[in-house]
Amino acid sequence: MRKISISSRTAIVIASVMLGGQLAQAQEGKPISGGAITWGVATEPSCFDPHRASQQAAFFVARNYIDSLVGKKADGTFAPWLATEWSVSPDGKEYTYKLREDVVFHDGEKFDAAAVKANYDFVKKPENATNAVALLQYFDRAEVVSPYVVKLILTQPDSTFLESTSNVKLGIISPKALAKGDLCGGGPLLAGTGPFVFERYSRGQSAAFVRNKDYKWGPGYAVHTGPAYLDRVTLRFLPEAAVRAGALTSGQVDLIEGVQPTDVALFADQAEFKLLTGPSGASTSFTFNINYTIPPADDVRVRRALRDGFDLEPLVKQVYLGTVPRAWSIIGPANPAYNKALVGAWGNNIAGANKLLDEAGWTGRDSEGFRTKNGVRLKIDVGYPQPYVRDNREVLIQGIQAALRKNIGFDLNLRIITAGEYAKNNANGTWTIYPNTDNPSDPARELWDMLGSKGFLYSNIANPDLQITGLIDEALRSTDVAKKRAITDEIQKLGVDQAFIVPMFAPSWFLAAKNNVNGLSFEAGLDSPSSAYDFWLSK
Amino acid sequence: MWSRIISRLLTSLVVAWASVTAAFLALHALPGRIQDILAGDLEYPGLREAIAAEWGLDRSLPAQYLDFLLRILQGDFGTSYVLRQPVTEVVGSQLMPTVQLALLGGLLAIVIAVALALLTAGRGRISRQIASFLELVFASTPVFWLGILLLMAFSFTLRWFPVSGASGWKSIVLPSLTLALPTAGLLAQVLREAMEKTLDQPFVTTVRSRGVGELVIRARHVLRHALLPAVTLGGWLIGGLLGGAVITEKVFGRPGLGTVTLGAVLTHDVPVVLAVVLLAAFIHVAASTVLDILYLLIDPRLRAQ
Repeated sequence: MRKISISSRTAIVIASVMLGGQLAQAQEGKPISGGAITWGVATEPSCFDPHRASQQAAFFVARNYIDSLVGKKADGTFAPWLATEWSVSPDGKEYTYKLREDVVFHDGEKFDAAAVKANYDFVKKPENATNAVALLQYFDRAEVVSPYVVKLILTQPDSTFLESTSNVKLGIISPKALAKGDLCGGGPLLAGTGPFVFERYSRGQSAAFVRNKDYKWGPGYAVHTGPAYLDRVTLRFLPEAAVRAGALTSGQVDLIEGVQPTDVALFADQAEFKLLTGPSGASTSFTFNINYTIPPADDVRVRRALRDGFDLEPLVKQVYLGTVPRAWSIIGPANPAYNKALVGAWGNNIAGANKLLDEAGWTGRDSEGFRTKNGVRLKIDVGYPQPYVRDNREVLIQGIQAALRKNIGFDLNLRIITAGEYAKNNANGTWTIYPNTDNPSDPARELWDMLGSKGFLYSNIANPDLQITGLIDEALRSTDVAKKRAITDEIQKLGVDQAFIVPMFAPSWFLAAKNNVNGLSFEAGLDSPSSAYDFWLSK
Repeated sequence: MWSRIISRLLTSLVVAWASVTAAFLALHALPGRIQDILAGDLEYPGLREAIAAEWGLDRSLPAQYLDFLLRILQGDFGTSYVLRQPVTEVVGSQLMPTVQLALLGGLLAIVIAVALALLTAGRGRISRQIASFLELVFASTPVFWLGILLLMAFSFTLRWFPVSGASGWKSIVLPSLTLALPTAGLLAQVLREAMEKTLDQPFVTTVRSRGVGELVIRARHVLRHALLPAVTLGGWLIGGLLGGAVITEKVFGRPGLGTVTLGAVLTHDVPVVLAVVLLAAFIHVAASTVLDILYLLIDPRLRAQ
């Protein structure tokens, strides 16, 4: 009984926060400058250099000291940032950016077209070993047209490229800093143009940022202009969720991220605290990716039976206490490219699933009650690499496992595997079901990651489905916004219809803060909390 | 006595060598190519080749093994490709906070255990039973949970101590107490049992008959006899402290080997994991060697051969 009351109350609070974002801004009053906050975060980035980082948790940290050419707005369009305007050539292969002329790096260097070229050249060069190079699949070279105009030239049209230039991974670092070598360790050496200067990093403990007083080139989507309000932001790395929550309730930190569903009631509806929930899978949902080339999953009837043989909604509600929505598509519901037509279009059809399996010849039953065909049990492994198991996702999968067994005699076998075993399965193309959430990028790029012919799941599979890989290539090339939207809608529909993918839920970020911390929000391009640029403290 | 010490040292060397060998074999027994395993999550052109060159993967297994042994001997644990730093630098910079925490925790455990044993051994039943119950509770409470309980009481509610941070001595009180209590619980039980046995010995009666005070009897004569079984536990104790320190660091968000190890495991940073495993093995070997030599100093009977 108590559980129900917490979750329904939470749902109401979350809904009101989501709807009332602008309202809250008005109620908070007029922002004032000054003060310092301590932010308890769950994950300590192993690398602070945005070009090289690979963890989702590193990117919202980097946003504090790194700016991009353009900014991505919540509605999926783009706002000026370091570039005041941009244009694309008719053939879709040349992107020209006109840059601000008043931008200075933290180390005193001037920001100009040469600096942009230095960054793109640096990322593209294989020996620099950047993670961001994946975004430059079709990037050829950069040209300095004039001191403040730069042209980025592609080998073929790439509809995801503008989004990539807004990505923090391709943020601009001082060329002088780039030349110094390794910037993963952060600190003042890692000089960007962002609203905060990276003051100090103490491994295992904290990272400190101080206000960039000269900052007047904030992104077009920010709430204010000019320097950040806060004098100082300190990130404290507190990996234990209960400790983060306790540190906030006892006032030792001002703001935390990664609030557990069970701790939500500590902060929701409390006079001293506020709770915000972030974009619900602006990137991808948490999905089962089913390798459709390996029996028995090469039979679409088996995949569809897996997709429809259980009721997802109560399972998600039970594990996450109503704090996250169930998913309907590969792309998350907060993403403008989300295909809404899929809502209610599939799932929870147990009779239908049983009928499909009967038709497919899985009519026998073994001693444990599982279906068999020619004496072989209907069984597919879910290989979940241990390092990625988090926030009770394995519990949700176990719930699905139990439901499929009971409902349709399907043996969905969850195995927590090592990273090495997964790497081997991926290299041989022998993975069977891979549970995943993708890093945020352009929707076509995300679909390519999951289902594309050279994406990370299907790059080593000899005979991927030509219809879906063809559509993805078309989406990557398509520079017409409406046409591209129609194609990504079609890919999402096909992915679920063919049950290449079974979406499970849309992960969210939870922020909790003291009541005097204002201006908290989420950034669309990061699919995570925004930088501290708009944060301010009321008295 | 010297021959015993030397043979003990030689045995330790063999154990250390065996642990390096085991680590090497374990690395090669993992599924997948060595360069993929060592690269962790990283993937860029030239990385696999660079790793293959650094580790000499094109050579025969025995040649690679010899090279591995030589490098470890020189204190070279290779490069962390994920952190892009030499492993020695990564581990070295995080070693001191963990050693500090483990030493303080160990010291605190010994002080608590000795005090408890001295005060309660052979005394009234009720005080013994209370102490014994407390010790049992502490010894059987997981470090992880104990840390959170202490934080809830003394940090979140009473606000006497911070969660973590560099705010001087205050920030190390709760972590070292977390680490000390389970160890102290077990140690006190062993000490008391041994002290009670010793108190029944005829030599205690002899000492008493000379008019020596009770506290002096206990602290100077009985405790020394009771120390032997406690020292036997020493190797286990040091392992417990190191393992406990890793968990304690995670709970309190402190810097140290625990944080590095956890990060390395999560990012598949195998060179760092390998170095931590070897370091732990070496510390175990060194500690048990020191303790065995300590036996000789505590117990004159062992020296007289």
